[in-house]
Amino acid sequence: MVNDIAIVGYAQSPSWRASELTEPQFLFPVISEAIERAGVERREIGFTCAGSCDYLSGQTFAFVMNLEAVGAWPPISESHVEMDGAWALYEAWVRLQHGDIDTALVFGSGKSSPGKPAEIYPLQMDPYTLTPLGADPVSLAALQARAMLDAGKITEREMAEIAARSRKSAIGNPYAQVSGDDDPEALLKEPYVTAPLRRHDLPPISDGACAIVLATADKAKALSKRPVWIRGIDHRIDIHQPGMRDLTESPSTRLAGKKAGVGDAKVDVAELSATFSHQEKLLCEELGLGDDVEINPSGGALAANPVMAVGLARFAEAARQIAEHGKHRVVAHATSGQALQQNLVAVLEGD
Amino acid sequence: MTDTKQPDSKQDEAVDPNAPITGMDYFMKLEYHELICPVVREFADALMEKRLIGHKCPKCSLIYSPPRGYCPICTVQTTKADEIEMQTRGIVTNYTVVTPVQYYGQEETEPFAKVSLQLDGGGNLSLQDLPGVPVEQVRSGMRVEIVWAPDGERHVDDVTNRSWGSAEGAIRGWKPTGEPDADPSEYSDKVF
Amino acid sequence: MGLTRPPRSPERGVGGGWAPTCGGKPERVLLPSTVPADKRLTTHTIEFPYTRTLGPVYSAFLTGMRDGQILGIKSRDGRVLCPPTEWDPNTGEGLETDFVEVGPGGVVTTWAWVTEPTSKHPVDHPFAFALIKLDGADTALLHAVDAGSMDTMQTGMRVTARWKADRVGHITDVEAFVPEAAK
Repeated sequence: MVNDIAIVGYAQSPSWRASELTEPQFLFPVISEAIERAGVERREIGFTCAGSCDYLSGQTFAFVMNLEAVGAWPPISESHVEMDGAWALYEAWVRLQHGDIDTALVFGSGKSSPGKPAEIYPLQMDPYTLTPLGADPVSLAALQARAMLDAGKITEREMAEIAARSRKSAIGNPYAQVSGDDDPEALLKEPYVTAPLRRHDLPPISDGACAIVLATADKAKALSKRPVWIRGIDHRIDIHQPGMRDLTESPSTRLAGKKAGVGDAKVDVAELSATFSHQEKLLCEELGLGDDVEINPSGGALAANPVMAVGLARFAEAARQIAEHGKHRVVAHATSGQALQQNLVAVLEGD
Repeated sequence: MTDTKQPDSKQDEAVDPNAPITGMDYFMKLEYHELICPVVREFADALMEKRLIGHKCPKCSLIYSPPRGYCPICTVQTTKADEIEMQTRGIVTNYTVVTPVQYYGQEETEPFAKVSLQLDGGGNLSLQDLPGVPVEQVRSGMRVEIVWAPDGERHVDDVTNRSWGSAEGAIRGWKPTGEPDADPSEYSDKVF
Repeated sequence: MGLTRPPRSPERGVGGGWAPTCGGKPERVLLPSTVPADKRLTTHTIEFPYTRTLGPVYSAFLTGMRDGQILGIKSRDGRVLCPPTEWDPNTGEGLETDFVEVGPGGVVTTWAWVTEPTSKHPVDHPFAFALIKLDGADTALLHAVDAGSMDTMQTGMRVTARWKADRVGHITDVEAFVPEAAK
């Protein structure tokens, strides 16, 4: 038996190439806004869970500093995941299942600008065979894109079209970093960055944060006229070694989508953490999302990529579609690891 | 090229070049470049003028130095309007003596003290030095005053978003004033 | 923020960059030369000297590398996995240390052309990262292919290991793979 949990408040920071503020400083107004929008008392929140990455910040226990943006006095019940904030949301969702508390705050934040992501992320790989090669996310994504191209599962033109559509959708999104009206033909004339990926196939490097407030059913109904219900949520992981996976498939996404119930009814919109253009098509296939589903109206991760918040931001954007744009059933997806190794899928619904 | 440090197996090989490889070294090195946030920049600029500044929370009156731009207790943001100048005399409220263990990167070799200060008129600083004071003489209640680095030598290169008030380029440390120690009642509820 | 736009090819290894492999457009990279006088840029370095024990599987694999041979391990269903794993990737069960020599030649199953190597990459000039299914193995190993030019690269091409003369028991004892004809 799973208890209904709803999103009752959400907020994001803009996505900056390099913020002058510290991570707790730009988290501060985001957390305050999410709490205010939820209409809860900060001190009544039963559980707080954060997602961030100390390697990204370049300081051990950097995540502890982020709690200053929460207001951790008197002492609060809190936890942290060294993962995207979407996994913090999952932990809070599990915590709320206990039924002894009725609200939870989750947030994700990251400041990618100070370091060099291409040198930091190899440290999350197998330390014997992959880290010493400096196996970086762009190269690994490029291996995946090439495999999809070779298998006839996508074309470079389709990749450019996905990027162009994402940038166009991001026009007017105050949280987006990359937006504009680009002609896919013109994009295809650009040189490769890491072939077969061109600059438009890559996400920007971003600083940013996102926060969400969850509530149990009775509390959500009391707090909100339009609670956004989490109808299903699941996350799965594939094997780590990229050479032991078929990179043209994502069994973990498929299974998480099935467990979350994506295919049980019509989906209106999906907000997917497709950090590289080709991954959007792969995710849509694995989740069974057809042409009738609107993908990433926010612009998605190609428009704003605040690592450790970008997956949670998919939840905020999905919730916005329901609470502010009248959509009924929306999918939110987050990913972790390289080349879509680990995937979290949720189905959100309005009343 | 890679700066991965290869296993230092030379010595082992001298013993038995055919011995199985059982360990692997990885030398992790990352460099970060970050703009100093505005409130800490103002703190650094003030140090260059031999001034100590902080932000006073408009709600609870706690003083934060260097300023953080918020009070984490009251969860209110603080701004330039909340800036105050602090006095450069105070009381040692707490201290620790570090006996350096020679782990990689440890440059200190002799025991040294780091002290927390409560400044006259309000405000605290942590991670401060008492140069020239033997560690066994460091104690809570000592009255001290600031020793600025001299003009021309003073710099704030070591003031960063994460330096927590440690600013050795500008503040050489604190020296005992010679006055009688403060009574514990003056600071015992502000020990940190 | 008021940052000025940096030169088109920022100096490598400086600034908050990684600009060559950043999506989006125009770049705003933190470089000392682009930081206005009223801002201050700080630099700090973190270093961790890790030493890891290897366990029976990686110990055998890296001992093999030192000795100039690449080892795979037999999985429960009889496949040969390279790099070897301690656990069966399908079932999670522990594997017997049943090693099989594979390679040094193999087939590129997919590849990516790295135009601007990072300081952590094994090759300091443009190269390909590739998944290489070594002869006798059923899974692919990630490594560098030093092919000279992107035009040389093709999925399905044969490559072979170029060993370092001074080997220490490390994945980079294979300096890189090279097109087989060019060995």
